[in-house]
Amino acid sequence: MDLVAQLVVNTLQIGSVYVLFALGLTLIFGVMQIVNFAHGEFFALAALVVASLMPALSASLGLPLWADFLIALVAAIGAVIILGALTYWIGFERYLRDLVGSFILSVGLILFLQGVLVEIFTATPRPIEPIVPGTISILGGRITAQRLLVIGLAIAFTTMLYLLLQKTKLGKALRAVAQDREAAMLQGIRYRRISFYGWLIGVVMAGLAGALIAPLTVSQPAIGGDYLIKAFIIIIIGGLGSIPGAILGALLVAFIESVFGYYYDLTMATIVMFVIVMIFLLVRPQGLMGHVER
Amino acid sequence: MRQVRRALASALILAGSVATAAAQAKDTIVFGVSVPLSGAAASWGIGTDWAAQQAAKHINEKGGIKVGDKTYKVEVRSVDNKYTAGDAMKTVETLIGRDKVRIITQSVGTAPAKAIQALTERDGILMFTSAWGRSVKGPKFPMTFTIINTPDEVLAPIYTTVKLRHPEAKTVLLLNPNDASGQDTAKDAQKYWTAADIKVIDSLFFERSTTEFQPIVTKIGSQKPDIIDLGGTPPANAGTVLRELEVQGWKGIKVIGAGTGSDVLVRTGGAAANGTYMGLAADFDGPTATEVQRKLNAEAKTVLKESLNVIHMGGYDGVMAAKAGIEAAGSLDTKKIADVLPKTVFETSYGKATFGSKDVYGTPQQLLIPIVVTQIQDGKTVEVIRILPDELKKRLAQ
Repeated sequence: MDLVAQLVVNTLQIGSVYVLFALGLTLIFGVMQIVNFAHGEFFALAALVVASLMPALSASLGLPLWADFLIALVAAIGAVIILGALTYWIGFERYLRDLVGSFILSVGLILFLQGVLVEIFTATPRPIEPIVPGTISILGGRITAQRLLVIGLAIAFTTMLYLLLQKTKLGKALRAVAQDREAAMLQGIRYRRISFYGWLIGVVMAGLAGALIAPLTVSQPAIGGDYLIKAFIIIIIGGLGSIPGAILGALLVAFIESVFGYYYDLTMATIVMFVIVMIFLLVRPQGLMGHVER
Repeated sequence: MRQVRRALASALILAGSVATAAAQAKDTIVFGVSVPLSGAAASWGIGTDWAAQQAAKHINEKGGIKVGDKTYKVEVRSVDNKYTAGDAMKTVETLIGRDKVRIITQSVGTAPAKAIQALTERDGILMFTSAWGRSVKGPKFPMTFTIINTPDEVLAPIYTTVKLRHPEAKTVLLLNPNDASGQDTAKDAQKYWTAADIKVIDSLFFERSTTEFQPIVTKIGSQKPDIIDLGGTPPANAGTVLRELEVQGWKGIKVIGAGTGSDVLVRTGGAAANGTYMGLAADFDGPTATEVQRKLNAEAKTVLKESLNVIHMGGYDGVMAAKAGIEAAGSLDTKKIADVLPKTVFETSYGKATFGSKDVYGTPQQLLIPIVVTQIQDGKTVEVIRILPDELKKRLAQ
């Protein structure tokens, strides 16, 4: 086992899920100017739907594992979209650009959704078998084929989001709203509708991350908590609302976790992340790629 | 006039129902259970809660608990301690304050149990616990009784078994959660591995919220230990670690000192879990299981979709110990119950048992039950050795 290769491989496999999770969070902040503390619950919902459906589908349909996963993934994203739409219409629509109101709402939503998830899925950890079996060696670093697939899919989803934001009318509207809401509205962009789409895309990104992590870990209702903390670190380092910043921040956090987790321990890695966050807040509060508000 | 009559009738009905509820509450003893019902350790808590409910049902079906000429029904109320000290404290405060609980029949986890002790020992509340750490026991904690085997009972037999079966093994690496439970376990493991003439090359810790274990697994693999001891790592996390270790090419001897069962471990670890030695697991379907254990396990497999483990069984035994203590003391006074418990031989899921081990802990507050070392073979828990404590043998012979 080549150590450097293994640490790089670890960085990529940890970072790939962080990227998807943090992208959703930063997109929601960029468009709606709210911090969604309940982001982890959308992640958990998708992971739990996949982890619950996969064994049932395998037992009943007799399809190949990848087909079961595809069906479960669609169902998980469907569930996330429904929950996302409901939470937006019932709650967040009333607190656009209201940091305090949305903070209270999303913290309350964590408690509520945690209870609902425990009630529906129970708190029993739900592992599922990998869709793609086997282990691959890359320059001496070992990784499961399943992890490699997740990295590939994470890159694909991130690219799709990038293209959507850069090349489509909706993406341009989202970016316009994120940059200057009033100017965007003066150009005829319907802010509330665009916020709704931004919110849905954000929670779907969390759902995709959750669905992809399900075959790699043990899904349970509280699974989103650790990812949420990491995502906050990522978007502070990368810059609140910045998509490239979220990607950079996620890879940096994964690198710190991988390297400090190896040379010291995971607790030290977390401490280092928080120290970096403090330095950023003091020296460069807009993060690596965020914009300064004047 | 009609309205006045209606109001009076409503008041009478309300008063009647309050009086009935009060009378019912008076004839019911409420036992508290503090267990993780969510998070990675939830599989311990859900089964423990279920087993405690079965014990209460069993007692109620047999007529309840007799104190003098009065008979009480039993009710078990479980709260989610999330395996953290803070949540344990909060939820047990509710049990004591709101539900007037005077006996906690099971508290899972060393960190939660230590936190609760600040309340239970101060207020004279009796607590039975499956806390693995030694630091919850002793003369300073007269109201705390341990209901399952702990490091001083289990580690020497399991490590000696590993040493005898794998004489070529020279080094071990320890991995535990970074809290009171994990730190206590690591300390004990260090002591007993050294006594078994195996060198501890490193002792690592992880936060319970950890979801990505690759960095720590890379570190373990690079040190090439002959044995990895996952000590008090919850089964879901332990399975993940074993799977990742296999991915990174490590092939050694796997031990989980506080390993409680194969179901979750095998589901998360897959084939990588095979061969793992465990100190707290038991085959409750096997020939050495008692009738009670077999029946409970069969029901659990239907209801919970998983087999019971030793911690779960502690949920049942805690309720049975509380019943035995109350009946032996002939009182609901918890101090009297605590005094009489070590002198009482009572029925547990393992058969007759009692509290002892004064020579080890300074006070006789450790439940004496069989010590079982198991190994996962082809995804199943298989008993490797079973030891009946000498002190229990003597007490049963009296």
